[in-house]
Amino acid sequence: MEEEDQQKIPDLIKELVLRLLSQNPTSDSQLLNPKSPSFHKHLRYALRILSARLRPSIAPDSAAIAESIKRRLVTQGKSSQALTFSELYTLFDSKTGLGSVNNKWAVLHLLDIVSEDRRSTAGQLDSPLLLPNLALGDAESGDNDSWVLRRRVKDKGWSNGVLLVAKDPENARDVAFREFANLVKEENEVSEEVLVRDVLYACQGIDGNYVKFDSSSDGYVLSDSIKVPRATGIMVRKLCELGWLFRKVKGYVSESMDRFPAEDVGTVGQAFCAALQDELSDYYKLLAVLEAQSMNRIPLVSDSASSGNYLSLRRLSVWFAEPMVKMRLMAVLVDKCKVLKGGAMAGAIHLLAQHGDPMVQEFMRRLLRRVCSPLFEMVRSWVLEGELEDIFAEFFVVSQSVKAESLWREGYMLHPGMLPSFISQSLAQRILRTGKSINFLRVCCDDRGWAESATEAAAAAGTSTRRGGLGYGKTDALDSLVDEAAKRIDKHLLDVMYNRYKFKEHCLAIKRYLLLGQGDFVQYLMDIVGPQLSEPANTISSFQLAGLLETAIRASNAQYDDPDILDRLRVKMMPHGTGDRGWDVFSLEYDARVPLDTVFTESVMAKYLRIFNFLWKLRRVEHALIGAWKTMKPNCITSNSFTKLQQAVKLQLLSTLRRCQVLWDEMNHFVTNLQYYIMFEVLEVSWSNLSNEMEVAKDLDDLLAAHEKYLNSIVEKSLLGESSQLLYKSLFVLFDLILQFRSHADRLYEGIYELQARSESALPSQDKSKSRKQRNATSSEPGSWISEGRKALTQRANEFLQSMGQDLDAISKEYSSLLENFISQLPVQQHVDLKFLLFRLDFTEFYSQQHPRS
Amino acid sequence: MPREIITLQVGQCGNQIGMEFWKQLCLEHGINKDGILEDFATQGGDRKDVFFYQADDQHYIPRALLIDLEPRVINGIQNSEYRNLYNHENIFVSDHGGGAGNNWASGYHQGKGVEEDIMDMIDREADGSDSLEGFVLCHSIAGGTGSGMGSYLLETLNDRYSKKLVQTYSVFPNQMETSDVVVQPYNSLLTLKRLTLNADCVVVLDNTALNRIAVERLHLSNPTFAQTNSLVSTVMSASTTTLRYPGYMNNDLVGLLASLIPTPRCHFLMTGYTPLTVERQTKNIMVSSYARTKEASQAKYISILNIIQGEVDPTQVHESLQRIRERKLVNFIEWGPASIQVALSRKSPYVQTSHRVGHYFVSGLMLASHTSIRHLFSKCLSQYEKLRKKQAFLDNYRKFPMFADNDLSEFDESRDIIESLVDEYKACESPDYIKWGMEDPDHVLTGEGNASGTVDPKLAGLKISGCRFKTEVEKVDIYRKDLFIVVDYILNFGFFLCGISADFPSPFEVSRGGELRKSRRLIVCSWEIRCLACIPHR
Ligand SMILES: Nc1nc2c(ncn2[C@@H]2O[C@H](COP(=O)(O)OP(=O)(O)OP(=O)(O)O)[C@@H](O)[C@H]2O)c(=O)[nH]1
Ligand SMILES: [Mg+2]
Repeated sequence: MEEEDQQKIPDLIKELVLRLLSQNPTSDSQLLNPKSPSFHKHLRYALRILSARLRPSIAPDSAAIAESIKRRLVTQGKSSQALTFSELYTLFDSKTGLGSVNNKWAVLHLLDIVSEDRRSTAGQLDSPLLLPNLALGDAESGDNDSWVLRRRVKDKGWSNGVLLVAKDPENARDVAFREFANLVKEENEVSEEVLVRDVLYACQGIDGNYVKFDSSSDGYVLSDSIKVPRATGIMVRKLCELGWLFRKVKGYVSESMDRFPAEDVGTVGQAFCAALQDELSDYYKLLAVLEAQSMNRIPLVSDSASSGNYLSLRRLSVWFAEPMVKMRLMAVLVDKCKVLKGGAMAGAIHLLAQHGDPMVQEFMRRLLRRVCSPLFEMVRSWVLEGELEDIFAEFFVVSQSVKAESLWREGYMLHPGMLPSFISQSLAQRILRTGKSINFLRVCCDDRGWAESATEAAAAAGTSTRRGGLGYGKTDALDSLVDEAAKRIDKHLLDVMYNRYKFKEHCLAIKRYLLLGQGDFVQYLMDIVGPQLSEPANTISSFQLAGLLETAIRASNAQYDDPDILDRLRVKMMPHGTGDRGWDVFSLEYDARVPLDTVFTESVMAKYLRIFNFLWKLRRVEHALIGAWKTMKPNCITSNSFTKLQQAVKLQLLSTLRRCQVLWDEMNHFVTNLQYYIMFEVLEVSWSNLSNEMEVAKDLDDLLAAHEKYLNSIVEKSLLGESSQLLYKSLFVLFDLILQFRSHADRLYEGIYELQARSESALPSQDKSKSRKQRNATSSEPGSWISEGRKALTQRANEFLQSMGQDLDAISKEYSSLLENFISQLPVQQHVDLKFLLFRLDFTEFYSQQHPRS
Repeated sequence: MPREIITLQVGQCGNQIGMEFWKQLCLEHGINKDGILEDFATQGGDRKDVFFYQADDQHYIPRALLIDLEPRVINGIQNSEYRNLYNHENIFVSDHGGGAGNNWASGYHQGKGVEEDIMDMIDREADGSDSLEGFVLCHSIAGGTGSGMGSYLLETLNDRYSKKLVQTYSVFPNQMETSDVVVQPYNSLLTLKRLTLNADCVVVLDNTALNRIAVERLHLSNPTFAQTNSLVSTVMSASTTTLRYPGYMNNDLVGLLASLIPTPRCHFLMTGYTPLTVERQTKNIMVSSYARTKEASQAKYISILNIIQGEVDPTQVHESLQRIRERKLVNFIEWGPASIQVALSRKSPYVQTSHRVGHYFVSGLMLASHTSIRHLFSKCLSQYEKLRKKQAFLDNYRKFPMFADNDLSEFDESRDIIESLVDEYKACESPDYIKWGMEDPDHVLTGEGNASGTVDPKLAGLKISGCRFKTEVEKVDIYRKDLFIVVDYILNFGFFLCGISADFPSPFEVSRGGELRKSRRLIVCSWEIRCLACIPHR
């Protein structure tokens, strides 16, 4: 069966060829003779075509073809035929199996073409479209017998046309064309070919014969002497823009290459040049091809053939369309970037890449990938290694050499000018911090553990620690690398701060010592340095005070503290002026040391110092009040009845003592509640906030911010802030008044003791049953009250008590007005916590009822 | 310079509560029965040297003097498992060992006789400390030794160590059982005079209240001294925590007391504590409240210090104070500013407590100066008057020099002083305290004022039919309000270990789970205020 088929095919082809040839009216009988060699030639040619692997440009899909046929029929208004066709097709399609057609789509396609062909050559017997190459093959074979060929050669000397335009050589159009060609020749001194070549030269930055660079007009121009039509001139000028652009780009590239490695080019600039260079070499390739084509003669318009490898100016303008866009872009980039470098350059290019044209986008993207790669390399090594290899100052992170303590705050900065806009501000911050963290670890913490974290981060981000992976347009990769690195490095840094450098412990130690949290220590210190501090400041030896500090530590529970912490605690004498007492200049300081001095900077410690001074003063006042209480404590002799005194004096004594006690109570209430307020509302609340924030801190910046907040909240709430200066001043006036009260109370009690002693010795006790031991120290002093007798004694006592009472009243009055003033200022303070202080001071509404305010 | 405190325990009661106190301190500081520091007790943060001194690295010895005129109790201690704890040189037992026979005069007289021995011991102990803060005397005021000899010691200390603080933990007799000591009104009165004149601070522990608490709240039908003493030791140790666990404030006794005692005379402190346990066996946490009778509402706080032990969030303090003020639960003196002080203190890490308040392990002690304490003194006075009128048992006193030749002026003087004390407390309730005693000097100085010595007439004639409770607390879930509840509880429902407050019935009980429910017994009779009909405030 197969063989039979195969036998059949040549026979069928032979018949087809015969049929075709015979249709040709001009074919002679010889040609139609199947045995003649010319017939054989045609047959061979036909066979060759058929066995060629030519494929129609159509999908081998019968249904689709059928559909398109049907649609065409419908559009031609032959809907009934379309219907018939579709029925027939279904039948045809359903036939499967033995004897059915295999290549159904091919059959359909063939039929389609045939019908199409019929229509276009309607009325024409000659149908070159159907098998045009049978005739061509004829020509190629050089068979001069073919009349077609003969005629063609004779008419145009053209051998490769397909179109047969005219049968009449004396066509009038032809004549007209020829005349036009002559006219053109007359008008143009130079031929278009020459111009094309000149343009091509110009586009390589080379002056041609007629097109030359003119520096005055800054562009390539056609020399005036040459006569060309205006249109041609314009076209040449237009085309030569490419040359002008090229000159610019090329000039920049070679200039930069020459300068490199100079600072103002930088690696990014270099990459930019390299990328431009690559683009240019593509451009050179194009020009080479065009140059080759330009050697072909430009056919005249009259030449009927329209394709061919010749270059006209018009063709050139088509060719140049794309390079022109690119070159223009490059030129713009060059212009924009000439003065830029590094990140700024990348950023500038990125801004220009925001373009709707996909071609431009693609071009720019390619360029940017190249340009940014050094930048990304810098980011990578900064984020993973903390290295700042930026000799040309191109990176958006800049360093400056500072002392270790300010490395974190001032050592590295973002250079906004170098930050390309495709890296967001927040990402840049994270990048900055990550590398900074590494450097901080390396320089300040003497740590090597970060490398491990960096490796982990690189692994997690899927980017090898070596180069690659990052690049322009892969923001996600960069983001995730920075994220991973930041997360790990920052965590490592915090671990180092917390565990190795015991940040929290030091904060607590500062709270214990500088903020006086270690009450027993503070008390002993107050006890033992108190007498010293009452001396003029310039007579105090800080060496001696240091010794006393040591004693206070050993005497209190501070002795169990970490020696490293105790070692950092020092006495600090502030600068003093004349008249300053020790109290005014004494303070404690805490030596934070690297790396903790990044947190506890000088200004931070200055704030702590201010808080210390305030708390220390408060303690001193408290101490004084307690001291006063001790002199008037319940079992002291003055509390007991003065049976031997005159009634009036007794009364006066009682009244004075009561007033003194009540005033003491009021002052003590104030100081104690201020202390409670400081402890709970200020120190503990702030500390608890700090602890919470320390827990959630993700990086050193968080930690610094948390500590800053902690410190500021203490400053604010302890009235040390800007807004409460007035309050603070009145507080200190109150404090001084309390200290004044203390010495006054001491004097009062001293006087009463003396009075007591005198009266007892002046009027010996009649109560023999009392077993109390008499004080022998107060026996008899000549010239004192005793000798003057009872009356004088009473009078002296009276005078003394009166003057003391008056003084007391004065203090009491002043205190009341000061306190009222202080309390009245509290509610107007913005700080809500000061209301807590008011709440405590006025817990029983003692003050608000005393001075009801509207 | 640890601000040492030397403890003097005098008489049976003094030694028994003292012993409990030392047991508790040893426990809290991780010191074993022989005074050796336990291996686990390394956490530090505590100050042992206030109450102990170190014989060597690991060996701690209480700064305590054990004094009695009869050997029984001290022998008991010396034969107990704690025998090695104390310094044997600090134990004084009278040679003849006969005690004072519940006679103040005998105790006082014997005290004078052995003064030198005892003062030698005290001086030695004082020399052994760097910066002695003061003395703590534990005693009862009803017996002979604790009261009489204690009184003598108070006078002596006041004289010789006038700059040092003298604090006492004074056990007042159980006035429900009159059979206890028949002459206790005499003894009490005479001791009270010394407590008024020669002590800086008296923490009043009332056996009446202690027993009532034990019976009614802890459901002990016949509470032993050991059981009530553990309540006492809890309070004693709690009131010293800020000295033993130093913090920002209240780190020494003088600082602690100064704010509590603004007026020298009124230096008698009440205590309240929550939650309560006996012998470290957790009983139900119960609270007692005192009704806000008209009389009670006249009484005022001169000062309050709450010492909260355990893990309390310091940021809660303000809120709890605010709520207390909002609800006006506390009456304060009006002649000066006052407030509730709250001290937070660490708790010993070595003592496990099973009490949870909120999500914290917390306990709270209140030290307060409250004018209602005067009723206790009035009671003493009235009992004294009764006996004195009958001239009963006075012969026992006349045997001793102070009362020789029928010189009973000491009694009169004591009575005057106590009366003026009562008056001063009463005066504190008025806004004009500052002027008190000035208009009518005799009132104070001659002691002619309210001399009846009986219960305040207002109080005696009181017929309260509808006293009201502030019962918003009814609904309070104690798991929710954490610190506030502790402060509030000890303020309003905490046990008052002195007579007044515990006499008032509690309308509330807190069951083991911490749930607060209303007691069904709403009408309870009290011996002093007759028939309180307690109607919940609504
Ligand atoms: N809370 C409590 N009270 C006690 C204790 N021992 C005795 N008392 C009370 O103390 C009073 C008796 O005083 P004691 O301490 O026994 O007498 P003393 O001081 O030893 O004096 P004499 O025995 O008379 O020498 C009574 O009111 C008892 O209720 C005790 O351990 N705890
Ligand atoms: Mg006894």
